[in-house]
Amino acid sequence: MNQAPILELEDVVKRFGPRTILDGISLAVVPGEIVCFIGPSGTGKSTLLRCVNGLEDMQGGHIRFEGEEVHARGKRIIEVRKRIGMIFQQFNLYPHLTALENVMLAPVVVHGEKRATVEERARALFERVRLAHRINAYPAHLSGGEQQRVAIARALATNPHMLMFDEPTSALDPETVGEVLAVMRDLALEGRTMLVVTHEMRFAAEVGTRMVFMDGGRIVEEGGPREMLARPRTERAQQFLRAIQK
Amino acid sequence: MSETLAYVPLFIKATGTTIWLSWLALLIGAVGGTAIALLRTSRLWPLRVVALLYTEAFRSVPILIVLFFAYFGAPVMLDIDVSPFLAATAALALHASANMSEVVRGGIESVGRGQWEAALASGMRMRQVMRYIVAPQALRVILPPSVGIYITVLKESSLASIIGYFELTRTGLMVRETNGGGFGPLLVLGVIYFLISYGISLCGAALERRYAVGGASTDAVVGGMA
Repeated sequence: MNQAPILELEDVVKRFGPRTILDGISLAVVPGEIVCFIGPSGTGKSTLLRCVNGLEDMQGGHIRFEGEEVHARGKRIIEVRKRIGMIFQQFNLYPHLTALENVMLAPVVVHGEKRATVEERARALFERVRLAHRINAYPAHLSGGEQQRVAIARALATNPHMLMFDEPTSALDPETVGEVLAVMRDLALEGRTMLVVTHEMRFAAEVGTRMVFMDGGRIVEEGGPREMLARPRTERAQQFLRAIQK
Repeated sequence: MSETLAYVPLFIKATGTTIWLSWLALLIGAVGGTAIALLRTSRLWPLRVVALLYTEAFRSVPILIVLFFAYFGAPVMLDIDVSPFLAATAALALHASANMSEVVRGGIESVGRGQWEAALASGMRMRQVMRYIVAPQALRVILPPSVGIYITVLKESSLASIIGYFELTRTGLMVRETNGGGFGPLLVLGVIYFLISYGISLCGAALERRYAVGGASTDAVVGGMA
């Protein structure tokens, strides 16, 4: 993997009042990597993703996406956001729009594409997330798993160069987790670049190319998911993995 | 009663005047109220404070006092001519804008943070988020209480009779005087105000039904009222 990184984090620091959420995070991601972030809650995993697309500002360090410096308050942040698809824990679909309209909004409004072109692509996306029959439903009439799959289709609709998943299955019923993970697995097989904050260790081991264990706003350990799950090197990671396997 | 019926054309004209006055005040109030609401939700605290003071001031002061200020005070203080119509419109609109700003703010805040984030993350600019995500949902929340505000403005517009503006109430009182008192004109006034209010309520309910889609509106409305 001697490719140029698509995403580079350099000593990223995020403070909120007296609390330090991210305490110097450095990381480089090359195209096609699937990086899974694990660790106890409140250790800054989600915040890290949100710094990458400027939903949070940061107090120190640098983030470069495709060579471009990311500043939460700058004008150029919009250009970065256009190339990153984000999937949220709570789906965050727009309740006043149908599933199809949810998916079509950004391509039409942000990217200025023609409705007809976008609609064709959107319909194909609904096939892929196996929701072709729910295309005209409003979010309130969809199950959690269905909503999250619509959210994935929405993120894909703008042909992003990278996808970020912020605990995509944490708000789902156990029986619908599988359908969302299946869609994510398909995306992984396509060779997409993905950052995934998750508690689904099996999924991470199966599709992840790298695993990053975070604690207290720092990266404590990183490596291949299978090795790390089988033989965590640091004591902190060992404790964490033992605790969640109970 | 038969004497009163002879004044039907006059009542019709006065009804038109009252509707015009109240709608104009509501319209200005809605535009002004939206502006104040945007200030209230601004990131800059001085703007929020100014908007808060405005809202609280005009909600607390009785409209009659605002009306007197506009009609008797402004000409003296600012050395301008103020017609009864202008004074009445201004007073009603100031009052309505203060009330509308609270309703609009509730509408804007009913749209959850998560939706803002999803929209921003997709590359939308603030004004696009406002237009495509916030406004359509906020309108559903804003509509029902707006009907109430309109009805308030309609009734408040009767106060313009005190400064000699010939709207509905003033006309009715004049007809009553001309006919040596009596109960008839007052009854007519009451019925006309009722019909306008009730008509607006029905229109509002119809609009609500029309915009209630996706089963989300109920949640949004409940959220906005809380």
